[in-house]
Order: sequence, then C-alpha cells, then structure tokens
Amino acid sequence: MLSALIWMPMLGAALIGFWPKGMNPNRSRLIALVAAGAACLWTLVIVSQFNPSHVGQQFSEFIPWIETLGLNYHLGVDGLSLPLLVLNGLLTCIAIYSSDVAIQRFRLYYALVLVLSAGVAGAFLAQDLLLFFLFYELELIPLYLLIAIWGGHRRGYAATKFLIYTAISGILILASFLGIVWLSSNTSFAYDPSRTQTLPLATQALLLLMLLIGFGIKMPLVPLHTWLPDAHVEASTPVSVLLAGVLLKLGTYGLLRFGMGLFPDAWNLLGPWLATWAVVSVLYGSFTAIAQKDMKKMVAFSSIGHMGYVLLAAAAATPLSTLATVLQMVSHGLISALMFLLVGVVYKKTGSRDLDVLSGLLNPERGLPLIGSLMVLGVMASAGTPGMIGFISEFLVFRGSFPVFPVQTLLSMLGTALTAVYFLNLMNRVFFGRLSEQVINLPRVQWSDRYPAIVLAVLIVLFGIQPNWLVHWSEPTTTAMNASFPVLTLRTHNFKFVTSQEGQELFSHAFKRTLALPEIPSPMSHTP
Amino acid sequence: MNLFLFLNSWWVPFYGLIGAIVTLPWAMGTIRRTGPRPAAYFNLLMTVLAFVHSLVVLKDIWNQEPQSFLVTWLKTADLDLSFALDVSPVTVGAAVLITGLSLLAQIYTLGYMEKDWALARFFALMGFFEAALSGLALSDSLFLSYALLEMLTLSTYLLVGFWYAQPLVVTAARDAFLTKRVGDLLLLMGVVALATMAGSLNFSDLNEWAQTANLSPVNATLLGLALIAGPAGKCAQFPLHLWLDEAMEGPNPASVMRNSMVVAGGAFVLFKLQPILSLSPVALNALVVIGTVTAVGASLVSIAQIDIKRALSHSTSAYMGLVFIAVGLQQGGVALVLLFTHAIAKALLFMSAGSVIATTNTQDLTEMGGLWSRMPATTTAYIVGATGMVTLLPLGSFWAKLQWVENFITAPPWLVGVLLLVNGLTSLNLTRVFRLVFWGHSQPKTRRAPEVGWQMALPMVSLTVVTLLVPLLLQQWQLLPSWEAINRLAVVLLVASSATGLAIGSMIHLQRAWSRPIKLSWRVVQDLLSYDFYIDRLYGVTIVSAVALMSRLNAWIDRYVVDGLVNLVGLATIFGGESLKYSSSGQSQTYVLTILLGVCLLGLLVSWPLGFLIGWQF
Amino acid sequence: MVSIKNKPSNHPLAEYIQRLEAGEALLPDTADNVLEVVGILKSYGVVLDAYSRNLIYIAENQFLVLFPFFKYFNGEITPAKLLRYWWHDRINFEYAEYVMRTMLWHGTGGLDDYLDSPEFKQRAEAAIQAKLQGHPLMLGLKALFPEFLPEQVRMSCYYSALGQFWRVMSDMFLSLSDRYDKGEIQSIPQVVDHVKDALVAAAQLSITYAVKLRGKTYEIIPASAGLTFLTDTAVPYVETIFFRGTPFQGTVSYNAQAHQISPDPSRFNYGALFADPLPTGGAGIPPTLLMQDMRHFLPDYLREFYRRGRRGEDDLRVQICVSFQKSMFCVTTAAILGLMPNPGNTLLPDEQKANRVYLESWMNRFLASRLNEVNDQPNSCPVALPEWS
Repeated sequence: MLSALIWMPMLGAALIGFWPKGMNPNRSRLIALVAAGAACLWTLVIVSQFNPSHVGQQFSEFIPWIETLGLNYHLGVDGLSLPLLVLNGLLTCIAIYSSDVAIQRFRLYYALVLVLSAGVAGAFLAQDLLLFFLFYELELIPLYLLIAIWGGHRRGYAATKFLIYTAISGILILASFLGIVWLSSNTSFAYDPSRTQTLPLATQALLLLMLLIGFGIKMPLVPLHTWLPDAHVEASTPVSVLLAGVLLKLGTYGLLRFGMGLFPDAWNLLGPWLATWAVVSVLYGSFTAIAQKDMKKMVAFSSIGHMGYVLLAAAAATPLSTLATVLQMVSHGLISALMFLLVGVVYKKTGSRDLDVLSGLLNPERGLPLIGSLMVLGVMASAGTPGMIGFISEFLVFRGSFPVFPVQTLLSMLGTALTAVYFLNLMNRVFFGRLSEQVINLPRVQWSDRYPAIVLAVLIVLFGIQPNWLVHWSEPTTTAMNASFPVLTLRTHNFKFVTSQEGQELFSHAFKRTLALPEIPSPMSHTP
Repeated sequence: MNLFLFLNSWWVPFYGLIGAIVTLPWAMGTIRRTGPRPAAYFNLLMTVLAFVHSLVVLKDIWNQEPQSFLVTWLKTADLDLSFALDVSPVTVGAAVLITGLSLLAQIYTLGYMEKDWALARFFALMGFFEAALSGLALSDSLFLSYALLEMLTLSTYLLVGFWYAQPLVVTAARDAFLTKRVGDLLLLMGVVALATMAGSLNFSDLNEWAQTANLSPVNATLLGLALIAGPAGKCAQFPLHLWLDEAMEGPNPASVMRNSMVVAGGAFVLFKLQPILSLSPVALNALVVIGTVTAVGASLVSIAQIDIKRALSHSTSAYMGLVFIAVGLQQGGVALVLLFTHAIAKALLFMSAGSVIATTNTQDLTEMGGLWSRMPATTTAYIVGATGMVTLLPLGSFWAKLQWVENFITAPPWLVGVLLLVNGLTSLNLTRVFRLVFWGHSQPKTRRAPEVGWQMALPMVSLTVVTLLVPLLLQQWQLLPSWEAINRLAVVLLVASSATGLAIGSMIHLQRAWSRPIKLSWRVVQDLLSYDFYIDRLYGVTIVSAVALMSRLNAWIDRYVVDGLVNLVGLATIFGGESLKYSSSGQSQTYVLTILLGVCLLGLLVSWPLGFLIGWQF
Repeated sequence: MVSIKNKPSNHPLAEYIQRLEAGEALLPDTADNVLEVVGILKSYGVVLDAYSRNLIYIAENQFLVLFPFFKYFNGEITPAKLLRYWWHDRINFEYAEYVMRTMLWHGTGGLDDYLDSPEFKQRAEAAIQAKLQGHPLMLGLKALFPEFLPEQVRMSCYYSALGQFWRVMSDMFLSLSDRYDKGEIQSIPQVVDHVKDALVAAAQLSITYAVKLRGKTYEIIPASAGLTFLTDTAVPYVETIFFRGTPFQGTVSYNAQAHQISPDPSRFNYGALFADPLPTGGAGIPPTLLMQDMRHFLPDYLREFYRRGRRGEDDLRVQICVSFQKSMFCVTTAAILGLMPNPGNTLLPDEQKANRVYLESWMNRFLASRLNEVNDQPNSCPVALPEWS
C-alpha cells in the first residue's frame, strides 16, 4: 500500500523518460500530473484508512533485501510522517502544475521532479536506517540536476554548493547510522529505539551530534545554511517550492525520528544547547532577511528563521512542543511554498525580484492585484497572524517550549516581530505605491498562475481556523515519542523557570558524570 | 425566538465576517463590469442584523446574571484552548455600541467614499473590523482576545493602507502594523507565560488563579508589564503612540471607528486583565505613569496640530491615558464609563471632521474658517461632540470624570490635577479647532461649502442625538450619582477647568495660512509639539537604526564570513568554476553520478573498518 | 517684412507653440490617435448625455430635497430599475456630481460672481420661502444657520449649469462620431475643427435656471443675468476640470503637516490634463468612475484596438483614461484656437505677437501637464520583455 507512493511517481518518471517516440511537452506534463496526482490521492486514501489513535507504524511493509548488509525494505507510516507525506504529494502536484509549459528538455525535467517526489516519500516512509539513507541520497540527484540545468545565471555554483553540503550531510548521517548499528553490536539497520539505550551516554551524544550536523545542514541551521539562499535564488519556482516546502522537512523529520527518537537521553542532555542554537538560527535568519533586496533571498532567509522554531520545539521535547514541531513543519511547508509561488509569479511577469526596482504591483489594472492580495495573506501567515496556520503552530511551539526553555523561547519570539519587519518591508515596497515605470506594461496573469497559490492560501486559512484536523492525526504519535522522556516541566501552579544557565549546568554536570563513571567504559576497551 | 437569539449570541461577530467574505469578489476585482455597491449594501445589511441581534439580546439579559459559553477549539497534550464567551449586560452592551457605531460609520462611508471605486474592499475591511471588535467585546478568554487584537492589527494595516498608492500611506500602514506588533509581541510573551503558569487562559480562571498565585515579584512585574504592552500599543500610549497620528492617512470613516472603538478595544482587554495586573504593584504604577505621560503629552501635542484629524486623534491618546490611570488605580468601572462616553463623543467629532474634509478638500486648519452658517449638521455635531468630551455641560464625559474625581479623592491629589489639566487642555484645543474651522471668515477653500449629503448627515445627526442622550442612558444604568451625593467641589473644579480652557482657547491668537510665530522661543515650542516631541526621530536613531544596523551586520557576516569561509575552503570553487558547463549535453549527469558514487563509497570506506573492527572485537 | 513665425519661441514647450501657430493640434495627427480620440469621444458623448440629463433633473426636481434617495432615477422608479441600481449596474452619476462640486468649489467665471450678487440672494430667498412653506422646523434651522439653504441653491445652480454645458458637449461628440463613421473626419485637425466650430456655434447660448414649486416657476438664473455658454461654463470648466481639479486621496496626502497640497486652489494642477492615468481603477481615484462608465459604450473598433494591448481588456480603464486624456488635449486645442485673439494665419506682426504671448501663457500652464507623455507614448507601449525566459 505504501510502496505505491514511491512507485507511482517512479512509474510516471519511467514513462516520461522511456516513452519511445512522440513525447511532447503537453503529454509529459499530463503524465507527470497524473502520476503526482495519483500519488497525492493515494496519500489521501491512506489518510482515510489511518487509525489516528494507534501509536506506532501502520501499513507496514517488510521485504528482506540484502541480508548481508542488514538492509531491509521496510516501510511504515505514523503520525509524524503522515502530514509530511500529504504535504509532499500536494506540493509535487503544485510544482508540476506551476512549471513552465514551454520548459526546455521537458522529459528530463518532469521525470526528475517525479523521482524527487518518490525519493522524499521513500525517506518519510523508510523504517530502516539504511533504506532511509538510500532515499535521502536518492532525492539529492534529481534536485541537483533540477538546479544545475534549469537554474539561473549562477546555477553551477549553487548546485555544486548544494551537492557538496548535502553530500557531507549524507556522510555524517551514514556514519552515525553505521555507528548505531555496529556499536550496538547489531547487524540489522531496522529502526529500533530500544537498542541505542544500551550505549554509553557519551557515545550517544557523539552519534547524535553527527546526526545533528547532518540534518542541520538539510534544515538548515546557521551556520550550515549558506547553500540554501544560493540554491533558492538559482532554482526555478517549482523547484524552490519543493525545496522549501518538502525537502527542508527531511532535515527536521530526520532529527525528530532519528535524533530524538533514537537518543532520548542524549537529546535531553543537548537540549539547552539545541534551544540556544535554535535561537541563533531564528534571529540570524530574521536579521539577515531584513537586509535582503532580492525577494527570493528574503523568503529563503525567512525559511531559515522559521525552521529554527522546529528545532526549539524539538529541543524542549514536551508532548506539546513535539506536536508543535509537526504543525510548524506543515505550516512552514505551506506558507513558504505559497511565498515562493508568489515571488515566482512576480518574477515571471516583471523579470525582477529586486525590492529597489519593483513598486506598486497592487495596481488593479496593470499590476498583479490578486497576487498582491495573496501575498498579504502569505506575509501575515508567516508573521503569525491568527486565523492562519502560522499562528497556531508558532503558538504551540512557544507554549510548548516555554516551560523548559523560557529565555530561549522569549528570544526566539522576537523572530515573529522581525518576520513582520522584513515581510512588511517587502509588501510595502513591492506592492504599495505607484507602479514603477520599469514594469508598467506587464503581460497578463493567467488564472493558471493563480490557482496553485489560491489552493495553498485556502489550506493555510483552513488549518488556521481548524488545526484539530492536523493535530488529530499526529498527537498520539508525538505524545508517544515523549513517553521515554523524563518530565522536565513542573506544570501549573508551582511553575519554575529553568534558565539556560541552569540548563547548561545540568548539561555539563551530566556530561562530566558520564565521562567520569568508570563502569561505563568506551566500547573500544571491551574485550569479548 | 428571543431564547434562540440569546443562545446564539456568539453569532454576533460572524455577521460582519460573513459580510466581509461575501464581499470578496468585488473587493478583489473579480466582478468588473458592474460596480462595488452591492457589496456595500450587503455589509450594511449584515451590520443591521448584528445590531438588532445584539440589541434584542441586551434587552433580554438586562437584569440577568452573566452567562458564559465555552467552545473548545483545540485540546491537545496539556493544552486546552477554549473560547469562552461572556454574555453579560456589559459585554453585549459593548457589542451593541460597536455594531451601532459601525452601522453609522458604514452609512457615512456611502457618502464619504461615494466616488471611490474600491468601496467594496473598504466595506469588507469594515466588516472584518466590526467582527473582530464585537468578538473582543464578547470574549472571555485571553487567548481569543489576543487573537482578535492581532486581527485588529491586521485590519488596521489594511485600512490605513487602503489608499496603497499614496506615498505617505505606504509608511503609515507599515508603521502602524509594526508599532502595534511590538505591543502584541510582548503581550504574546505574557500570554504564553500565563498559559504555562495558570493553565487556562479564560479570564474567569485567570481571576481565580490570580487570587492564589504565588509569583516572585520580578516575575509578576515582568508578566504585568508584558500584558500592559499589548493594550498600550492598541491605545496609542507612550511609547507606542506614534502610529495613531500616522494612521490618519487612512480614510475618515475608518478613523471614526479607530478613534472610538479600536482604541477602546485595547483598553477593554486591559480592564479584563486587571486582576492579574494587580499582582504587581510595579505594573499598576507603570500604568499610572504611562497614562499620565501620554495624557498630558498628547494633550499638549494636540494643541499644536494644524491637521484637523490629527488635532483630534492626539486627544484620543490622551483620553486612553486617563483610562490607563483609572485601571492602574484599579477603578475599572470608571475606566469603562470613560471609554463609553469618549467613544461616542469622539466618533461624532470625527464624523464632523470628515464632512468638513469632504466639503473643503483640505485638512489644514489654517486654511479653513466660517463654515458654521453653511453647514448646520456638521457644526452641531462638532459642538455636541466637543461638549461631550469636556466637562462644561452635563453630557457624557462630565459624569465619567466626576466619578473619576470622586473615586480618586483617596489617590494622590496630583492625579486629580492630571485629569483637570487634560480636561482643560482638551477644552482649549477643541475651542481652538472650532474657531479655526467654523468661526471667522471664510477662506478660498471654505468659500463654497454646501452641507454634505444625507448619507453623511444622517449618521452625524443620529449620533448627535445619541450623544445628547448619553446622560439619560447613564441614569438608566444607575451610573449617575444622586443629586445629594454629588461632590460639589469636584463639580466646581471640573467646570472651572473646562471654562478656563474655553476662555484661553477663545482668546489666544490663532495663526492663519501658514504663518509662523515670530518669536523664536514660541517657534521652538510649537515645532516641538507639532512634531510630537520629535519622538519619531528618536526612534529613528535608536530602535530602527539598531535593527537596520544589526541586519546589515548580519548580512555582511553571512556573506563574507560564513559563506566566505565556505568558499575559501575552495570546494565550491573547484566544482563551481568554469570547468563545468551545464549545457544540453548529457555530461553533467554522469558527472554527478560519479561524484555521488564517490561520496557513498567514501562514506562506506570510512565507516566500514570501524564497524568491522568493533564487530570483530565483540 | 520679417514674420515672427520664423523666430522660434524660447519657451520650453516651443514645439507646441509652433504647432498651434501652424494650425495643428497638441496631439500628433496619427491614424491611431484619430481612432482613439473619436472612439473615446463617442462613448464620452453617450455618458455625458446621461450625466447631463440627470444633473438637470436633479436641479429641477430635487430642489432642496433633504433625502433625495432616488435622485439618480430621473423620476422613473420601477422595481426592475431599483434592482438594477442596487446591483450597481448603472451610470455612475456620482462622478457628474463630483465634477459639479469641483466647479462650485473652485468657483471661477461669471456664474460664480452671479451667485454672490444681491440679485441671486433675493431670487434664491423667494424660492426657499416657497419650498419651506409649512415646514416650521426647517424655517427654524434657516434662522439659526442663514447661509445653509442659499449655499444649497448655489449648488443647484451648478447642477443645472453643468448639465446644460454637457448637453452641448454630448451632442457635439456624438455628431463627431457620426461624421467619423461617414468618413468625413480623418485627421486630428479635423477633430479639432469640429469641436471648435461647435463651441463657436454654441458660444452665445444662454445659461438659465428655474425651478417649479407649487405650480409657480421661480427663476433663479434668469436670462437677464447674461450668463453664456462659452465664457461662463466652458471656460470655467476647462479651468477647473482640465487644469485645477482636486487632489486624489489615492495618490496625494491630505496631511496638513506634509504640505503636499497648495493652500491656493488656483495653483492646483490635478486636472484631467495633469492626472496620471496609471492609478486609474485603484482606490481613491474618482475618474475611475468615468472610465468605468465609458467602458460600456466603446465603439467596436476602439474595443478591438484595446484588445490588441499586452494585457487585453485587463487594463481597459487605464487604456480608456489614456485615450481620454488625448481627446481632452484635442478639446483644449479647440478651445485655445477658438479663443486666440487673432486668426492663426494672420500676417500682421502685431497680431502674431499677441498670438504668441497668448499661446505662451497657455504653455506656461502646460509645463507640468501630461502633454509630453501624450505625445510620446503610444497607448500600450511595448516594454522590453522580462529578461527571464
């Protein structure tokens, strides 16, 4: 059942790629849309069959694959991956729909987008560490090519940078996985949280750190982020939509699933540092976004800031904050996809993304009024205005993290005000005022340019008004993920601030103790 | 039927919302062949329904205990976000006031904006505004109130930004949003902290919690200050007051709503937060200090304004300052009465100002004069509105302020002095504006000034009547003291302060037509006041430039340090240089595959021996 | 004899002075311009016809009515029409009133002088008394606010005067269109001549205003006041609507401290010849109403012309506004030529000099106008395609 999510797009890609003759742009676009649409619908079927109250993997598929490597084809889905799968299905459809009809080398293009989607779906579904890694790497190739072939002027630079960063990320993740398997004297790569518990805390922390950096590149976290703005700026709009909407989520998903899921103790240990790291990411991304003149770069830096919230919530690891990570991932996926779509339309019509060049695009006759209105919605959603999904997800992040890391939470809340600063600046400069002379005679905006954005806008508002539809699917899973965590929070009346300083002390104390304890030796000193 | 309406009183805010949503096709320009008026009429109809509905409910529950409804919105983990609604005479009365004023303002819009093709968008925003405000009135949950305050911030942004192509609007809308956002952010911090500490965010639960809460003084103070910040932004209190001046760039009917109801919305939340604020004496003192500084400062500033809307809007800040003081002294009742009387009188003053602007095509007081005999409705509205603001005649504000003085007899006497000063200065300012606009000789721009049409005159006259009836309403609600209980000294003080203001206002020399005082010292004082003590420039060189500097520094670091380091390492340059040409040849794919394969092999090679070693050891 | 025509003027707009001296128009004579100008004047004529009828109806039948709910119905109220009006499927008569109020507010010309005369005061008083018979409340109000009702009567006078002015203009534009359809009009100078001839023909038309109250006719502007079409309506109209106008709230800040608007209305330049067409259709731009009205009556050839633009019909109102501005420059040309002190082809140096001075004084007022843009830019200019492709 789950395999279909991977193999439907793959089949589509194969059809487009190996169709003998007479493949024209329209037909390949149609096949791509059908394949992506079928996968998306299939996801919805899975959603309808999914039992939200059941904790753990559902619809598992298990096929032994390469036993010598301990690699098995093991798929499953739970409340953490389900929303992301839906997001992937939806955004793939939107990306294909909003691709340029007259795109060059269309066969390769559509095939790559489908392979990308399949790779991402596989990564979300994989219940085997090595399988996850394979899919994680699989998604890398099409994305690299999508940037390198259909990108802007500096596509070569951006694509290579992306490739190198992600390759390093892959190496670190693989190393960590191998470490997990071999250090716990196991041969299977099956996802099994129980066996990492036996490892010494220091080893766990080390393996977790590798995962953190590996997935931190993907998220991305400051200072591992510099590939992202370049990749976004050079990538075409649909690729940016996928990159921001889905691919960054692989980083956070990986952190939650493998970092938090496999190393709860080490995670707790590193928690204060992670929260501080999140603050740095949020503020750094936000401040840098303020200084940007390129709309796409601004949205890219905004992404960095908003992904920081996910780390903050994950670091706090309370039941509420873990749930908040899922919401924030979905929220960021929808909102950043919307923003990239809108910036894409502006760029397509005006040929510019420069805040100094554009102005007055709200002009109802010669500007892009509807795109401008949707931009207001996107900007407001991103800045966390109630009634849209950005608000409730950020509120849950803050509310969930505050009891554990009050100072870090308050600091990262500044990010919402800074988001308002840079996005209002964008809004007012690009859309308010008189239409600038350079863009006085723009081509018409087709309804097909608007539909994808409208769909996303509707979803943003819908989930903003009724977040239960989202919470419902994920809550049991995220609560279960926290079951193995010690209760850090003293709730209600006798609330106590755990300051970062205390957290640090806790951390260093725990770390020292771990290193000092002689009866937990390092694995190397063990003899059979 | 009445029961049905009562049970569905939560529905009141939705009328405005439905109006706004149905209006979208016109507002977004999807319907282009016919005009936007159906949207306007539909919104009017919805507002009438909301008004009638809330009126009927108010009549029903007049002598009943407050009822509350609880709608669970999101319940998850340890969080329970429910929307509590409080249906009591006070809250439903507020809803009646909001929908009623909104109705008048919307009829007024039909006239004021009759030649504006974006009428539908305006009405949609007004509907949204009304929905958020009446929701705020009924809300008994801090979470819901916070959300609605944010929606008000959004709709203020959109309403101020209504004439988006006008250069000053561009900055005004942005500044209004950001200033309020600063307040909202601090409020959100308070809300998050409170949610953690108190568990529930419903006001009734919070009140209970506040009775027993045991917070350290520092935490209580921080919490209190954070909670004050939101209303301070909404009520245009120092230091978050500048947006209201700039917001006057927006259309006048929106200013009517903003200066009467929106600022009151912020104060209403403050009123509801009173029990929590009382946990911290520092927070209460902060309220008094903020209120005093704003009340006196804004009253002074308003006297130096030459723009008719700004001359009135600064006095809004001043009156909200008085409300802040009242809440700071835990006199919530006084605060509510003052809010009520101010809202009605100020709405009327703004309607009058709007019809002056529409007739004379100017907002400059120095270019006006001699309108009184041509514009009866406008002149009457101004006079009644002005008397409703000060304490010369026993109209609304007189009784509110009387109550204030009486209740504050125990408070430090200087606070009564503040009230008298603000009252006197307001009286001076309103007299000054009256002389400039309505009295004297007509000038080129006021030479031909026919009274406005019925769409504007009707709401103006209706509200004039309502303003005159306010004392009767207060009596109905038993908010007036009995004749014997009236404190004679207080009455004398109040009347004297108004009369002094009136006397000075009618005697001072008024400059006409862009002339400036000759004496340098006066000029300095005038400039200081007319440019709001240059506080905007102060912000410019402090906060704004700090954020700008920070962002530029960050961007520089990002570009030259973080990214520079990466490039320095050289990996990117090796691969990204001219050596790779991504053309239509298939070379690139093979290249990538090679790289990728290499990477994977490398990874395996690096980790294999390690694992092998360990595996062997075990 | 050295002709002054050989010496070019030093004026920055000397090019146009030369053109006018040569009997040409302010607008270049191209085939597209003729099509646009005639086409837009045709639809403008239709709209003006409706405006004019309504203004005269309001002046005569809604005299001092406090609640003129049905003032746009011209006395004919049927359920179907009511529904249609509620749906806003109607001419935007608000624009006509806006123009009327702008003229009243600026107040130039003989009509304005007359409205301050004792004769007007007396005649208006008579009409007011007749209207208020049996309304003690209104009489009380009148006593309290003595200028209230006379000011309303002044406004009624402008309703009527503008209605009469537009009546002539409407007929003139419609007959222009008829002549174009018959092939008689083929160039811009011909358009200008048509307008000029019609203006001259109507110049001495008398402007009067009377209301009928309780069976008795009250003359408020009698023929004896000597107000005529050209000097008392056409010239003030050009002055106030073409040149001065009022600042649009959608583009100009009314903030007194910003000092964006001149304190002297005679220095306003927000009129039809100055306004930027680009914001048309947006918020706070009153002429949008007129453009919207005209879009319903575009002749097919003009609609086809607009469809060829890059945005098709999406930016119809801006395109209409651009054409409209062009046509207004033609009308202005006709007015300039018609009012020229001496014939344009005179050979006498003194007369030529007087003409030159006259034209330069006009050009001074055109300095900040859209004259250059109208001459330079075609309606839909092909801007370079985005670099993205």
